[in-house]
Amino acid sequence: MVEGAELVPMLGMGIAAVMARRGADMTHLAALLGISAMPVARALKAGSGEIIIGTGPEMWLVISPDAAPDWGESLAERLAGVASVSDQSGGYALYSLRGAKARQLLQKGAFIDLHPDAFGRGSAATTVIAHAGVILWQTEEEAPAFELALFRSFQASLEHWFTVALAAMAAAD
Amino acid sequence: MRIPCPYCGPRDTHEFVCRGETDTNRPDNDEAFYDYVYLRDNPIGSVREHWYHAQGCRNWLTVTRDSQTHEISEAVLAKDAAR
Repeated sequence: MVEGAELVPMLGMGIAAVMARRGADMTHLAALLGISAMPVARALKAGSGEIIIGTGPEMWLVISPDAAPDWGESLAERLAGVASVSDQSGGYALYSLRGAKARQLLQKGAFIDLHPDAFGRGSAATTVIAHAGVILWQTEEEAPAFELALFRSFQASLEHWFTVALAAMAAAD
Repeated sequence: MRIPCPYCGPRDTHEFVCRGETDTNRPDNDEAFYDYVYLRDNPIGSVREHWYHAQGCRNWLTVTRDSQTHEISEAVLAKDAAR
């Protein structure tokens, strides 16, 4: 684990926004995604490796590592009639934020309660860092490791925030 | 001021957009439109307002707020409040 914190882009992942159709059966939707229940403000990893993140009421972001080019379409087919799927693979950028001081660094950016009791393993939030909207979640890993998604055009803004916040934190130590 | 979003939990107001009073209905005649657009009761005490959680769960909330103390007694999803 790095001593401070590092922000590493995660490339080649399939990303899709999923919204339940009106009156859809949540248990059925969860079964189609291979999980026991749809997460509410939490991130869950299915057996298939797909990560399902609750972003709003009956709204989720689904991420697939090593996604084939037609993954979005196949997900839409899999969930047909139960949920609407919109492929966002080219719209969002994904990052891994990890290291001993990852949480402390995040506290300089996000206006949410990041105490481990309030935001721990599997917690997810849709919020703002450096004026840019982000979807943030903590992975199930041992170390404080976070992942986040934001609109691709805000990448430079986020990376700038990270560089400045890390330097400020190092200078304060 | 923090707004207790029913989905996201307590969040700073900078994540929200305030749309104003909930109980205004779009009129069907031109004469009433001026009042609809410009006139507000602006009462002291409890008010019901629509707030949009733009930088969060992207849902409309119906928030009951005290206009003097800013104390929020209730915040529900507007789609639930309308049911």
